[in-house]
Amino acid sequence: MAVSDALRSPAAVRIADEGPSQRPNKFKQAFPQYVAVAPFFILFAIFGAFPVFFSIWLSFHSWDGIGQMKWVGLEQYSYLLTDPTFWKSITNTLIIWVLSTVPMLLLALLIANSLHNATRFRSFYRIAYFIPNITSVVAVTMVFGSVFSNNFGLLNAFLTSIGLDKIEWLSQPWGIKIAIATIVAWRWTGYNAIIFLAGLQAISSDIYEAAKVDGASSRQQFWQITVPLLRPVILFTAVTSTIGGLQIFTESQVLFGASGSIGGPGDGGLTIVSYLYDNAFGSNQFGYGAAIGWALFILIVLFSIINWRLIGGSDDERITKRVARRAQRKIAAEKAGKEYADAH
Amino acid sequence: MTLTRRKFLALTAGGAAAATGLTGCGSRSSLGAADELSLWAWTGSVNDDLIAQASKGIPGAPGKKVALTRIGGDYKTKLLTSLAGKSMVPDIVGLNDDVATYFPNADQFLDLHELGADQVKGDFLEWKWKLGITPDNRMMAFPMDTGPTALFYRRDIFAKAGLPTEPGDVAAAAPDWSSYIELGKKLKQAVPGAAITDNITSIYAYALAQLPKRYMTVDGQYIGNGDHIRQAWDLSVRVVKEGLSANAQSGSTDANAVITNGRLAAFVGAVWWAQLGPKNAAPESKGNWRVTPAPGGPGNRGGSFLAITKYCKDPEAAFKFITWLESAQNQAQSFLDPVLFPSTPASYADPKMTGADPFFGGQRIVDVFAESAKKYPGTYFSPYDSIINKPITAELVNVEIGAKSSDQAWNDAQHLVDRELTRVGAI
Amino acid sequence: MRTERVREVTSHVVLMLGVLVSLFPFYWMLVMASNTTPDIFAYPPKLLVGSHLLENMRNVLSNIDFFGAMLLTLIASLGVTVLVLFFDSLAAFAFAKYEFPGRNLLFGILLVTFMIPSQLALVPQFVTLAEFGWIGSLKALIIPGAANAFGIFWMRQYAKGAIPDELISAAKVDGAGFFRQYLTVGLPVLRPGLAFLGIFTFINVWNDYLWPLIVMTDPNRLTLQVALQQLNGVYGTDYSMVMAGALMSVIPLIGVFIIGGRHFIADIAAGAMKF
Repeated sequence: MAVSDALRSPAAVRIADEGPSQRPNKFKQAFPQYVAVAPFFILFAIFGAFPVFFSIWLSFHSWDGIGQMKWVGLEQYSYLLTDPTFWKSITNTLIIWVLSTVPMLLLALLIANSLHNATRFRSFYRIAYFIPNITSVVAVTMVFGSVFSNNFGLLNAFLTSIGLDKIEWLSQPWGIKIAIATIVAWRWTGYNAIIFLAGLQAISSDIYEAAKVDGASSRQQFWQITVPLLRPVILFTAVTSTIGGLQIFTESQVLFGASGSIGGPGDGGLTIVSYLYDNAFGSNQFGYGAAIGWALFILIVLFSIINWRLIGGSDDERITKRVARRAQRKIAAEKAGKEYADAH
Repeated sequence: MTLTRRKFLALTAGGAAAATGLTGCGSRSSLGAADELSLWAWTGSVNDDLIAQASKGIPGAPGKKVALTRIGGDYKTKLLTSLAGKSMVPDIVGLNDDVATYFPNADQFLDLHELGADQVKGDFLEWKWKLGITPDNRMMAFPMDTGPTALFYRRDIFAKAGLPTEPGDVAAAAPDWSSYIELGKKLKQAVPGAAITDNITSIYAYALAQLPKRYMTVDGQYIGNGDHIRQAWDLSVRVVKEGLSANAQSGSTDANAVITNGRLAAFVGAVWWAQLGPKNAAPESKGNWRVTPAPGGPGNRGGSFLAITKYCKDPEAAFKFITWLESAQNQAQSFLDPVLFPSTPASYADPKMTGADPFFGGQRIVDVFAESAKKYPGTYFSPYDSIINKPITAELVNVEIGAKSSDQAWNDAQHLVDRELTRVGAI
Repeated sequence: MRTERVREVTSHVVLMLGVLVSLFPFYWMLVMASNTTPDIFAYPPKLLVGSHLLENMRNVLSNIDFFGAMLLTLIASLGVTVLVLFFDSLAAFAFAKYEFPGRNLLFGILLVTFMIPSQLALVPQFVTLAEFGWIGSLKALIIPGAANAFGIFWMRQYAKGAIPDELISAAKVDGAGFFRQYLTVGLPVLRPGLAFLGIFTFINVWNDYLWPLIVMTDPNRLTLQVALQQLNGVYGTDYSMVMAGALMSVIPLIGVFIIGGRHFIADIAAGAMKF
């Protein structure tokens, strides 16, 4: 602790010398705190901020990382915007994201609800559901790659055994997307379910009791109380899966990296990041790679803004009250309607 | 621009890093220990025994050893990334027949003329030797093997299908691609699921490998939209339309699977495919394979080169190693395993090469490949061939998977090539 | 009461189905790793665990330096974890418990950096490291990730609630300086938070793929994930061996997780609720 002692003593001595009447130098006094927060900012300056600025400069050049840099102005950007493959990588990424996120969140909700209802084996379930998330994508992709394989895949063997035709999953752009989305969903469903579960457990049981008194069925309770109250948690998972979804890379690289076309047949699995990797490191177009990085950044900002809009002004307590009121009204109305129907 | 990249970096990152003492040792060295020359090569591109010998000591360079690393998959990406990374670059690297792709960065490699390469020039095939020399007469790469092509087929499956089984008869039944397709149709009728290619790009690549010209002329004119390319394109599409492709894309596990499970009953391939294909993926089919002259005539695909990077610790020793590894005698040994075809004509008479290969039912496969090599006309590779080839094969795949019609894919491919060539300033 | 019972049973049925789906890929990995390649590629496929597991694992060990890759990955993961825990908790302690000029500004900047996707500057980061001569060395894996905004943010939230101001005041009265306060007051209280951040960081570095794929250019010094993909690229024709490699690569982390994962899961969920 020689360093920290050395850092501490001057300040301490100083304060004693100056006495309480003198105004202490706030900056000097806070020196240890600056030292404490410095490592992050220094590392960020070198490995974050500097590369970000450098990438602007780089994106105005044509450079293979080895030879001389050549100034090309905005050419990289105009090439990017007119490149059909780039737009395809964006639509691919969004399709894979939807294909994975929607079923994933629905399944997670179902699992979380079941976990909430089940009283036994909870910790076993939690571990079992969380394990996919800590398993390496590379290994998982290899396994799923073989399950989806055209010629020896388990899925096709199953289809053949029940008398259906084989589907060439990994040769069809949509098949590739389904395969990748399955991998993503498999890895993250349990994770999201556990987060939903925490959200469920935070909902006060009074609301359910009140609903029960009003005669709400469990399905009504689920859709009219549980889901709306989980909204902040659902949005959290939506935000994290958006950011994760826009950065999908490993799956297509492992499936198709060796084939010379990182997106696979028809570029069906070409995501934005794999497009970036392929251009920057597959063909050593460093300037172009930097330009793609900026496109990715703009996309993420765009989606973050959309997400913020969705979250906007959602104050927990207000939601709770509003939801409770709305649920009560709805359930009462439905009950009234039912009674009306029964009566006639 | 007056501000160069180096200056820019020195002003900003360098400054920041120096201030925090992070630069440490900026070593710009090659991979491996001081007495060790690191070598990168593809799987199945060097003979294991020779490498084992060189890893104890390079003959003729006392105290120096070679450490081989096999690289799989995206070799080019790894090599280019390592060159751009500027440290941990290997001393010696294998390069494929797209050696011209690296010509713009020829200064990253040593000029082998200066190391005395011309002394052994006479031992090598002339067309092969020339491929490693840049237009401004810098010898960037040294010949390894060549890739004469032939038709590989499963004798057992052909027999089952009632097709000719002896190499001479098969060759007579399929002298050109059309008759080969007819043969394939009969095969498929008798053995459902059987295929004569793993995917569309293989047919295209091997049809292209038989042509005396490729994508550019020597004086830099683009001819990839010419009839010779379109014919190879149409042929590939035809094979797929006849249902004779296994639709197992190259580099995928599927591509290995169709060899292992016997779907691929015939394949026009280069000599090195013997190892990378059946010998590795289907060892249990030993004795059932045969080779015979390919439909459409002789061709050459692949066959590698060795280059010494400018980071090399000991260029003399590296050059000693290369000339030793690629001597006629050692190239003959590399034909035994992993079936590399020598670029040194003196090897062809070596008894090691003329032996019977039990994997091919005791056939003397050298006869078939030597014939192909002798008749092969040679071709010209431009630095842009890889750039051109990429969209063309990608669009061919689009035809195979049914995403596009042949004409649409062709037009899209030409459009993409045009964009790429304009961008790199080639046209 | 009967509906309660029905609900419980239905829930378990749903959950067991989910568990099957969750765990099936591991079973399938084991099936492929324990059969021969021709068996895997044959139709119909083998559905049961075979008898070639040890042989396939031996092949992995003889073809690639599996334990070398594992050791390198372990060093990188531990290195990053230790540095992150130290730097992040130190910064978080300062941000959470001390007033200093510019604190809010600095914290604001930190939050903004949080939003920058790591791939934005992938290329220039590579170039910068190349200029330092770090490409291919462990430094490239460890140093850039040695402190991160997420960890500081998370630890700060944790520290705010967990460390009582009285303890710090008491330490100040005793004449302890900032760093002593961090050591004697901060660290002990933050320990559960550190455990979470540590596991989180460790798993992320262990499983990271894109960055090591780019910066670890020496094929003899690869992280486990990249080595696994390399195994597939070089020896893909021996698929059962590749699968044995995949199995070997996932076992350590899963083993550790089954032993110590329960708290971690609770913390992940709690962390998500705080956002």
